[in-house]
Amino acid sequence: MGKEIDIMRILKRLFDLDNLIADKEADKKIGFKIDEEVGLLSLKKERASLLKEIPKEYADSYERIKKRYALAIAEVKNGFCFGCFQQLPTEMLVRSNEIVTCPNCGRILFWREE
Amino acid sequence: MNLASLLSRDRINLEMKSTKKEEVLKDLVYMIKSKTDAELIYSTLLKREELGSTGIGKGIAIPHCRSLAVSKLEIAIGRTIKPINFNAIDKKPVSLFFLIIAPPQDPGNQYLITLGKIVQISRELTKNNLINKPQTPDEFISLINEIEKKIAKKR
Repeated sequence: MGKEIDIMRILKRLFDLDNLIADKEADKKIGFKIDEEVGLLSLKKERASLLKEIPKEYADSYERIKKRYALAIAEVKNGFCFGCFQQLPTEMLVRSNEIVTCPNCGRILFWREE
Repeated sequence: MNLASLLSRDRINLEMKSTKKEEVLKDLVYMIKSKTDAELIYSTLLKREELGSTGIGKGIAIPHCRSLAVSKLEIAIGRTIKPINFNAIDKKPVSLFFLIIAPPQDPGNQYLITLGKIVQISRELTKNNLINKPQTPDEFISLINEIEKKIAKKR
């Protein structure tokens, strides 16, 4: 595992998983049954195994950003980081195939393929 | 927020041939996205089901999650020809599925509002035994519209 595109794919899965975990209280309030023991444990195991699939520097970076912001990955739209809504420097806009962070807020940036 | 206005007839399949939980989820996701994005959503949905089945009982399930794969709230509806095992809360087979996928950043928390609304509509559908009544996507949307109006009047 080394190609940034593959690492980004795993980071996206990790991010979706973290959103699932974050939404579980809201799900409970709506009336969905949440299995705190087996279900949540399985999600946490999957999370740990995804982190092991990527180089340590990216795993550490993701965890560090996650501690600061609930949403560690932000989409780039029209040249703006949709995490902090600041305009990105022009030279960054050609780096959609790399894993880069927003120079303003530090979130990992994600470009949607249209 | 009006649910009927978020539905589109090309994302309603009332004759799904899927016979397993995994198949239904995959088929529903493919109604919204293709290839890579669909796989990302599908894997998240499977994980959500491990947290607890989204089968709310009486033949209805509301599989849902947030995913980076979508930029706005997306809904797909499916009804299987034969009810299938979905590990629903009442252990009964499920035939009607509301799939909801929302982006992580969701203005106005539309995701949770929509989920709540579908739960409410589902109660009306089961109470009046209406799951199998609509025969076309248009009839389905009209039925949802009627139910929403009825719920609004009760308030």
